[in-house]
Amino acid sequence: MAYVRFNLAVVISNNLFTFLIMNSRTIYVWILLVILTVAVGVISSFPFSYAVVAILVLSGIKFIGVSFYFMELKKAHIFWKISVLIYLLLFLTIVLIFI
Amino acid sequence: MKLKTTNYKNIFYPPGGILLWILIFLELITFGVALIAMVISSKENPTVFHESRLLLNTTFGTVNTVFLITSGFFMAVSVNYLKQKNTKKALLFLTLTMLGGLLFLVLKGVEYSDKIDAGLTIGYNTFFTFYWMLTLFHVIHVIVGLVILISVYFGLKKEISTTTIEDVEASAVFWHMCDLIWLLLFPIIYLLF
Repeated sequence: MAYVRFNLAVVISNNLFTFLIMNSRTIYVWILLVILTVAVGVISSFPFSYAVVAILVLSGIKFIGVSFYFMELKKAHIFWKISVLIYLLLFLTIVLIFI
Repeated sequence: MKLKTTNYKNIFYPPGGILLWILIFLELITFGVALIAMVISSKENPTVFHESRLLLNTTFGTVNTVFLITSGFFMAVSVNYLKQKNTKKALLFLTLTMLGGLLFLVLKGVEYSDKIDAGLTIGYNTFFTFYWMLTLFHVIHVIVGLVILISVYFGLKKEISTTTIEDVEASAVFWHMCDLIWLLLFPIIYLLF
């Protein structure tokens, strides 16, 4: 029984280790995105006027995280990277002007 | 499953395919213009927009963001495993991806139900017209994404699968597009006004 348990523990830790090694960058990005999401929620309750800028900037960083790492845009031709960044910059600037 | 390597550095072959990226830009522009229209129309009635925004449940919005981000993370892991030719693990993470999408839809359903019960329907005021139009349009995208993922799941599960890595990548990029759109909707609708 102890042998079975030991083997099970070895298999699980091996699988976990492989998972962490194989997806380390994706895991870091995911953790950052979750932290930023919670941070945006907390900042929104602050009364000061810069909260709007902070919310939009942090949301922009999340947008870049998803597009460059999850969608693998990081590996794409520079045209696609610049296009996404220009879109984001334009969108955030227009919203900040009119808000 | 057929595996072949694509040179993503070629301008015509972004990850997921050029047609999908054209679609993504069209979607982003559509949602972007609608959100800017919402921001501009808030200038006419800032009090109405502020008071209406306070009627939304920010916690639901935040949790839904975490659901979609986590679902997107599982999708990226699933594609990674598929590239390593580990179909079994890829299928496991694809299932988790779909679970994340389903949880998003369930919470959105609860939120919609609360709003309807409170009488905050599409015609209540300008804010809620934008709220319903934009979030429902996004929900439709999530449902379409889920249908695509289900078809990919069964395609990969076949013993002699005709599903290629390009098919899976294209589906993954469509799914991540739903994340991207939500990342624009959430701060503006739930937090800014």
